[in-house]
Amino acid sequence: MASFNYALRDTFRLIFRHWGLSILTLVTAVSLFFLLGSSALFSLNVKNIVADVENDLVITVFMRAGEDVAPLLSTLEDAEFIDDIKAISPEEGLSILKSKLGDQAKAVSLLGENPLPWSVQIMVKRADYATPLVRDLMSFPSVEEVVYAGQLAEKLSRASYIMNRVSLAVLALAIIITALVLYNTVKIAIYSKRREISVMLLVGATKSFIAFPFVLQGMFLSTIGAVLSVALLAIAYPVIGNMIHNTLMFINVLDDRDLLFRLYLILVGTGMTLGWLCSWFAVHCYIVSAGSPD
Amino acid sequence: MDIRMAGITKTFKPDIVALEDVYLNIDRGEFVYLVGATGSGKTTLLRLITREIVPSRGQIVVAKRNLRKLRSSHLPYYRRDLGVVFQDFKLLPHLTVYENVAFVLEAMGIPSRIVRERSEQVIDEVGLWRMRKNYPLQLSGGEQQRVAIARAMVNSPAIFLADEPTGNLDFHTSESIMKLLLSINAAGTTVIVATHDQYLVDAYRQRVVELHEGRIRRDEERGRYFVDGEL
Repeated sequence: MASFNYALRDTFRLIFRHWGLSILTLVTAVSLFFLLGSSALFSLNVKNIVADVENDLVITVFMRAGEDVAPLLSTLEDAEFIDDIKAISPEEGLSILKSKLGDQAKAVSLLGENPLPWSVQIMVKRADYATPLVRDLMSFPSVEEVVYAGQLAEKLSRASYIMNRVSLAVLALAIIITALVLYNTVKIAIYSKRREISVMLLVGATKSFIAFPFVLQGMFLSTIGAVLSVALLAIAYPVIGNMIHNTLMFINVLDDRDLLFRLYLILVGTGMTLGWLCSWFAVHCYIVSAGSPD
Repeated sequence: MDIRMAGITKTFKPDIVALEDVYLNIDRGEFVYLVGATGSGKTTLLRLITREIVPSRGQIVVAKRNLRKLRSSHLPYYRRDLGVVFQDFKLLPHLTVYENVAFVLEAMGIPSRIVRERSEQVIDEVGLWRMRKNYPLQLSGGEQQRVAIARAMVNSPAIFLADEPTGNLDFHTSESIMKLLLSINAAGTTVIVATHDQYLVDAYRQRVVELHEGRIRRDEERGRYFVDGEL
């Protein structure tokens, strides 16, 4: 117990003795874990949006100008795989669009005449019925365009795949930089105490006893960095989420408290592990493997 | 026998011979002065015992441990049997007097209550109770030397080594430190003191081992600093 008390005291001594370096390490760790958390939240939200879009079983068919919807409706009415079918007049379509746009609905009135054609909203029973139906609908001469969320989902998936790869590369770089900063902080602390370390060895301290406060120092700085970044994320995420939702109302920002809590926990765990690994490595290089007597 | 040196030679690069063919036996509970001119090999001999360095040739056995064969993982446990007072004190500057003394016991993993009791007792014995919360830089040379002695004796070592424990200290401080060393020896601890202090060696007569250019020139029970007639 006395050893542990000593280790704790010495850890804080090390942190305050090189306070400038400690702050630099802390800022770097906070930045890294904030970036890591933001990136994870972004990926989770993109995945959530893609899933939402994929689960949207509605196909919207826009008719050519002046074309009647009745023949199309009569063709589709009896199809087994269709759950619901509904014709939307240009006026009705405009009011739906305005309600979706919310505050920005005024922009639509700038268009003057209603540009929307007749359209048909088809809800299929299962998502896998959608693609062949879309193909069939496109072959109707009276159909101008078929809009199906699945196509959007595919595009979003492709875009998020690329974004994930880019953010992974950036994160790997950020982790390497933080690891180097942590490693250097511990190394400098060891270097500044090299005379004291030699005295400690002479009075019977083991290398692991001497090394322990340095490992705790690295772990402490990294974990505190992760905790602070989690606090920042926990404050910033709902605010940014609200802003996004107010601007782009059709986007549902992820609000799964369990999932967010697990993400924050993983960030803190990563902080502890990274701190432990970097300081252990520095300690191993400069204390544990230090030379034997001449 | 506590310490046995047989044919010890220590050379430093490029070709400086610090000790040459030294044979020395020291029994448990003995008090030994190591005397000799600067560069005669006193400090090298002490550093061999603490195993800061290993001999180039010869065998050195301390407390039944062959130091040539001692594994580095066992070194801390070996050093816990020694109490060492260094010429330059080697106190830990960022620790208080109490923390410097307690460090040795904390490093041994001794329970907090015993660490506190024993450290406070030893600090009191060396007369530094009032200064237990001071840092080394706030102490005089004599006080720092006492802290070094307290640290060396706190774990009740079997062998106590002191390198110039009274160097640069005034007469009264030197004498009080000498009395401390004698009381440590009286408790059964083997004490080896490397010194230039002629007065103390002559006033408190003990075994004297004189080194000259790395060799033992004289080994005398209850000797004086100088051989009779020599000055």
